[in-house]
Amino acid sequence: MKSKKLSETIIKIFKSNGFELSEPDVMLDSEYIIERSGEKFRSSMLTFEREDGKTMCLRPDLTVASCINFLQKKTSSKIYYSGQAYRRSNIKNSNFINDQLGIEILGSKNQIQDDFKVISTILSSAKKIKSKKIQIKVGDISLFKNLINALDMPERWKLRLIRHFWRPSYFKELLKRLEKNTDIDAVTFDTDKKRFYEMKKMDQDKVVAGRSISEILKRFNKKIKDPRSFSDGKQIVKIIKSFLKINCKLSELDEKLLDFAKKNDLKRNIFKDFKSIQNLKKLKQDINFIANFGRDIEYYTGIVFEVFSGKQEIARGGRYDDLLKSLGAKKNIPAVGAAINLKNI
Amino acid sequence: MKDLITIGLPSKGRLKEKAISFFDNSGFKIIQSKKERNYFGTIENKSNIKIIFLHAKEIVQRLGDGTLDVGVSGLDLLNESGKNLRDKINIECKLDFGNANLVVAVPDDWIDVQTIADLEEVAFDIRFKRNTRLRVATKYPNLTNNFLISKGVTQYKLIPSLGATETYPFIGSSEIITDITSTGKTLEDNNLRVLKDGLILKSTACLFVAKKKAAKLQPFLNSLD
Repeated sequence: MKSKKLSETIIKIFKSNGFELSEPDVMLDSEYIIERSGEKFRSSMLTFEREDGKTMCLRPDLTVASCINFLQKKTSSKIYYSGQAYRRSNIKNSNFINDQLGIEILGSKNQIQDDFKVISTILSSAKKIKSKKIQIKVGDISLFKNLINALDMPERWKLRLIRHFWRPSYFKELLKRLEKNTDIDAVTFDTDKKRFYEMKKMDQDKVVAGRSISEILKRFNKKIKDPRSFSDGKQIVKIIKSFLKINCKLSELDEKLLDFAKKNDLKRNIFKDFKSIQNLKKLKQDINFIANFGRDIEYYTGIVFEVFSGKQEIARGGRYDDLLKSLGAKKNIPAVGAAINLKNI
Repeated sequence: MKDLITIGLPSKGRLKEKAISFFDNSGFKIIQSKKERNYFGTIENKSNIKIIFLHAKEIVQRLGDGTLDVGVSGLDLLNESGKNLRDKINIECKLDFGNANLVVAVPDDWIDVQTIADLEEVAFDIRFKRNTRLRVATKYPNLTNNFLISKGVTQYKLIPSLGATETYPFIGSSEIITDITSTGKTLEDNNLRVLKDGLILKSTACLFVAKKKAAKLQPFLNSLD
């Protein structure tokens, strides 16, 4: 099939599953995107300065652009997009233009149902266009969070590990530090303690470089009270590593997790939230669960998946409950979505 | 002239003096124009060498475009420039002057922030509470970016600065800064403190050579001692 016809076939399936077209702006406020998604995106964006001094960029990604479109109340919550995204890359001769085709449920009210809807829609598209055996790989970031929260270690270590789960190489460095029990902020507090008492007498609402005195003192206090070192770093790293090795058929997952908990003296019920994954059994499809999965994109928060045809990845997606808030939504707006990898079909 | 060598030296301050005495001590006596503000110089008994006095930043640029063959400038300026430019310039040797550190500095009164790990947590705090990013003012966006990202700090935004960066946290233009410092006095006098592991780059003056000309320049470089 020619690529245009392929897209049409896929879009037909999206529509019949109730997804409506979203046509986000091609040009976006560049500062707005950097403000929300961080400095590291700057180098990949195609930007120019408008006459009024505002820096604009071509939309670097259609998920983000569709979310912005949704927040401006221009679309319903169940959408599909089909269009070009524009990005610079360090790879020589790589194309600026990426064709993107995908679906999103923004403001997803029923997690289990919506996760299933997205995956099953993508799966039926895949089946329609590919003849080779279809396979799905899934992971779930929230399982990792459950594990970390169940382990006995200082709070700031938990937060650190969760925050950096999506950056495997830095995460590895963190584990090394945790293993050796050398905390990165083992410093003496004597001189600062003196200043602490001085500052306590100051106007607590005074602001120093954007932070109030009370905010600074509160964090300082918490830091002193949080234990500097703890005994079980090595054991904890061992548990985390063995969790990340879990790789099994979906049908064996319950047993594997139970086994894992038992072996490591953890409570049996620490992995409570993986109904979304269990629910996928309904697809009657070859599904593999991989704990060490979906770790290259910061914004995923729950289920992550990739659909393969033979060895080729043809679609990927996942749940991203925090992205819309970080794009400026006033409250949490859970969301889940996926995109077809047009290059591979 | 076929074997003409063009050397760029810093046009101002201590860096200029030290660069001139480096050549003097290596047996190349630099003769400056009698006109005080003239930007050109020569070397005694070496008619094939031309000296140009330029802004240190400009020296790196001109080495890249082939105007200069040899130059004295800071390692910080070379490392801050883009890959295209860096690929065109060799570091012949580090010199024993112009030492300065590029560092991450925070307001003194942020007593809870001592390390990059603290900074990372505070950045997330700011993000979480106010949905804005920690702003980092700097004259060195590239080096700062690479450093912060490698240390796990992701929730920030760079604010380009041209000078007096030390004022930024106190006039509401940024929360923290990165800047070059040799004695630490300016930071200290402006109520800023370097983070314990906040060293981005140990910089020094260097003798740079345009890569394309490196072979041709070898005899001259060998004669510098």
